[in-house]
Amino acid sequence: MGSDTFTQLVDANYASLYRFALSLARNQADAGDLTQQTFFIWAKKGQSLRDTSKAKSWLFTTLYREFLRGRRRDVRITALEDLAPAEADPPAPEVDVVAAMDAEVVMTALQEVDEVFRAPLTLFYLEELSYQEIAEALDVPIGTVMSRLSRGKTQLRAILTQREKAARDNLIPFATQRLRGTP
Amino acid sequence: MNNEQAKFILRAYRPNGRDAGNAVFCEALRQAQTDPVLGAWLAREQAFDTAVAAKLRAYTAPPELREAILTGAQVSTSAARPWRRPAAWLALAASLAIMFTLAATYWFRSTGPVPAALDQLTRFALTEPLSAHTGPHADKLGAVGAWLENPANRLAEAPPMDLAQLKAQGCRTFSFAGHEVFEICFKRGDGLYHLYLARRSDFTVGENAELPVVLAQAQRSVAAWADQRLVYVLMAGGGAEAIRRIL
Repeated sequence: MGSDTFTQLVDANYASLYRFALSLARNQADAGDLTQQTFFIWAKKGQSLRDTSKAKSWLFTTLYREFLRGRRRDVRITALEDLAPAEADPPAPEVDVVAAMDAEVVMTALQEVDEVFRAPLTLFYLEELSYQEIAEALDVPIGTVMSRLSRGKTQLRAILTQREKAARDNLIPFATQRLRGTP
Repeated sequence: MNNEQAKFILRAYRPNGRDAGNAVFCEALRQAQTDPVLGAWLAREQAFDTAVAAKLRAYTAPPELREAILTGAQVSTSAARPWRRPAAWLALAASLAIMFTLAATYWFRSTGPVPAALDQLTRFALTEPLSAHTGPHADKLGAVGAWLENPANRLAEAPPMDLAQLKAQGCRTFSFAGHEVFEICFKRGDGLYHLYLARRSDFTVGENAELPVVLAQAQRSVAAWADQRLVYVLMAGGGAEAIRRIL
């Protein structure tokens, strides 16, 4: 692969790969390392990929595998999937409330979703991958992806609702401030 | 299919409509068209998904990351000597990026200027994960390892390093900018440390390099110094105090 083509590949994918890495690793330094490592592996191995239209999917799969390889898997991940089904329809913040939130707040909320649900959820939201594509990227069965998406969305809604409530509780209306300051 | 089953399926339905022709969703979508409660739920779900996706996509990557990736690729394809470890290459690329964006990315507390060139090795050490060591630990490295793990010894007081002996004992080495660097992982009390050693002649070392310079960021600290033969870079998890108490 020529340097121009590599540059194009980086330009087209590094930002979304970084966001995916950030959602997984939950800190910027590790997310940057994971993203660089993924392109490093591409530079070494990715050129053998015959179908270049699958480069993006290859990059996401590789990043996810590197993430899993780089940290010890613990029993909690398995245990989480054994939990009873979550509340079907938890309260969720209104859409305009989400729209008014900072991107960083929403990203932080996503990072708080349990890891097994976070990876498919990130690919769903950030990359608009279909459930089949997510299953392929994460190497898990389709039914598992649907279940994890459902559970992940439930968690994300609950976290966003908490954030919104916390922000509302800490907010002192301007009128109240004026009254307090009035002799 | 009841509404709960339909919701389970429709939570995987992308709001951009690209799944409209997918047979898996057809029955659930038909049900949403005929059941006003389910239809209203789907509309809220889709609006919520759209809003969340827009917010997440608005999160930007660090501007220096692109350059670090491209620079790293150039290094990997043009280096005369191959890097022994991808992690070393990546860490160097990351450290170069950090050097150019230091003020924006990290908050360092420094006791003084780090000698040029040694600076690169120091910053490399800052990016190395403490858990990444795969070579033999100090307890397998004979007298040198025992000296390092002895709490009575201070690192900055002429440690008895013999590179040839360390190499014969299987001490981990790697190439840094074309120069051989030795890496020893050792413990002091509950603390884990990495010591990097290299020949002083391989590095541009400034004046007063015998006095250790300590750099610290939130979760990592590094000390760098040199004697007549070697340069030393000591890395520890935690703040500068973790380093100072063994120097």
